[in-house]
Parts: sequence; structure tokens; C-alpha cells
Amino acid sequence: MIAGLGLLVGITLGLLLQPDVPLWLEPYLPIAVVAALDAVFGALRAFLDGMFDDRVFVVSFLSNVLIAALIVYLGDKLGVGGQLSTGVIVVLGIRIFANVAAIRRHLLHA
Amino acid sequence: MPREPDEPERRTTDNPPPQTWMGLLDYVTAHAVDEDYAHVSRKDSSDSSGGPGPARPGVAALIILGLFGLLAATAAVQTSRNAVAAESGREGLVTQIQSRSAKVDAVRERIVDVRKEVERLETQYLDATAEGRAVSGRLDRLGTNTGSLAATGPGVKIVVDDAPNATSSQQEVLDQDLQKLVNALWESGAEAISINGQRLTNLSAIRQAGSAITVNYRSLARPYVVSAIGDPNSIPARFVETEHGGEWLDLKATFGLQFDLTMEDSLSLPAATRLDLRFATSTEDSR
Repeated sequence: MIAGLGLLVGITLGLLLQPDVPLWLEPYLPIAVVAALDAVFGALRAFLDGMFDDRVFVVSFLSNVLIAALIVYLGDKLGVGGQLSTGVIVVLGIRIFANVAAIRRHLLHA
Repeated sequence: MPREPDEPERRTTDNPPPQTWMGLLDYVTAHAVDEDYAHVSRKDSSDSSGGPGPARPGVAALIILGLFGLLAATAAVQTSRNAVAAESGREGLVTQIQSRSAKVDAVRERIVDVRKEVERLETQYLDATAEGRAVSGRLDRLGTNTGSLAATGPGVKIVVDDAPNATSSQQEVLDQDLQKLVNALWESGAEAISINGQRLTNLSAIRQAGSAITVNYRSLARPYVVSAIGDPNSIPARFVETEHGGEWLDLKATFGLQFDLTMEDSLSLPAATRLDLRFATSTEDSR
């Protein structure tokens, strides 16, 4: 419940403030969102599995976002930014789907 | 209840780590959750055996989730902003293209005007002096020769067409047939030739483009009227004696192509539409 509140507050803040993203940061935003999504779903599944931990969530979230952005940055510097982004999104996407499937199994008790 | 295989436990045994024997995709799917969660919960349960249950999300999780919401909202806002910018950029380009092409049209019209003006001034200037008149005459001769000026004079008119009810391409007039005809006419003393109103110049090409024959890059429609200025009395006789002229008579006899030669007292051939030399220059001063 409290977690959902945090999410709501964050979204509202983002929509209200509409912060200006610096140009150099712009390409990393979408991939950071996907990485964050992966961390959030992982946390939700861990919570349902009964092994959620605040510290692990914070660390996994921040490291996910940072590493995803770093990979894209590195790819841009090497001239394979698009391909590396695709790779990151594929791996994160698979993880997200697997986690959501497990969450669904938990919630539906199937 | 189906559970994922407990991978971390397998690690503690002598088995090799899972990523070595699992496929990459299987591994990614099986390890969708950070292993740290399992690690920490196992440590907790061993520290205080059967201690407190799983931690509820605390303030840190709240802040991180808020951050996540902020991130997602910002990304969405930014993307929609960029879409608006891209759209307005596209519209700007479209208006630019329109205004530029209008400008090109205006400039093109001006080119035509200026060219006419240049011609007028040229003749005016040349007509002013005796030498100029000579040059003007020379220009006229050259223009008639090359096809940049209209020409009139006696000559022959040849109308050729496909055989009636032609079924095969051999019974149709092809580009090479027209080429042969024109070559035969040059050979028999023609001084200026036009096909369906397209004046032949030193830059003209007669070729097949699809089903049509093009001359000076303009498509022609059947029948083909070849007008040649020259001595109307000698051209027909010399034409028959040339190699290609003989071939044409063969074509007429064998495949039934239509070939109709008439002598004309006065033919007028138009000037060629364009004779722009962009690269070739004279090696000597022609004047």
C-alpha cells in the first residue's frame, strides 16, 4: 500500500513539475526506465515470495539504472549504441516477463 | 505449487555454476529475480532462526518507487515533447520546400527571359557591323547545320509504320530500324532531318524506351514521319543504293513494314529543343 503511494507521488511530481532533461541525458532515459521496471517487478516478486528486503531493492534499482545507462553510453561511444540498447532491452524484457508470470502465479494461486 | 528450481542451492554443491550448463535464455528466465533477495533472506533466517518474517517495504522502498514514478513520468513527458518538436520541424521543412521550389520556378522563368534577351542583343550587336553580319551569317549556317535553328528547303518525307496487324516484333518498327533509315538518309545527302517534329542534332539519340521509341528523350507515337531536307531528285535513288536503304526495302518486302516516300518542294524542320553543352569547349577560337 505504502509502496503504491510512493509510486503515485512520483508520477504526480513528474507530471506536475515536468523537469527539463539535459540533452546529454535524454538517450539514457528510456533504457533507464526499462531497467527500473525490471528492478520494480523483481522486488514485487521477491515481496510475494516473502524475501523482500529494502536494502537489496535500493541497491538493485540504482545499480540496474546506472548499469543500463552505462552500457548505452559505452555503446554510443563505440558506435553500437542501438545494438547494445536492443540487447539490454531484450534481456530486461525477458526478466520482466518471467517476473510478471511468477507474480501472476502468486496472485492467482495457479 | 510449481516453483522455480532452487538455483542458489545448486551452486553450493559440486555442480558447475548454472550459466555453464543452462542456455543463456533459460538462465536469464530462471534468474529473473536478483539473487541477492534469496541470499539476504537465507542469511536472515540463519542469523535469527525463524526470526521475523520478510521485511515490509520501508521508507527506502517508498523513495525508490517515487523515484521510479518520477523517472517514468519524465521520460513520457520528454518523449511527447520531442514528438511535438519533430512534427513542427517536419512542417517547417515542408514549407521550406514549397517556398524554395516556388523560387526555383521564378528563377527558371527568368532564365528563359534572359536567354531571349541575350539572343536579341546578340543579333542587334552583330547586325550593327559588317564583321558582325558575317559572323551572324556564320552562326546561322552553323545553327542550321547543328539543328539549333529551324531549317526549310526541299526534301523528301518518309512515313514508316508497323506492318498492318503486326504480331511479332519483327513486324514492328524498332529503334534500330529508324536508326538505319536515318543513317541511310544522311548517306544519301540529307542535310537536316527530323522525326515526328524532333530535329536530329549531333546530340540526338534514337532508342527504345519500353514500348516507345524516343528521339531527343521524347517518346514518339506511330506512325513515324521522317522529314529530310536535301535534293529531292537525288535522295531517293541514292537511298536505295545505300546498305541500310536496301535493308529497309527488304524489311518492307519481307515483313510488310509500311514505307512511303514522297518528294516535297518545301519542308520546314523545327529547331532542336535544347543543345546545351556543359562540358565540351572549343579548342580554338572559332572567330
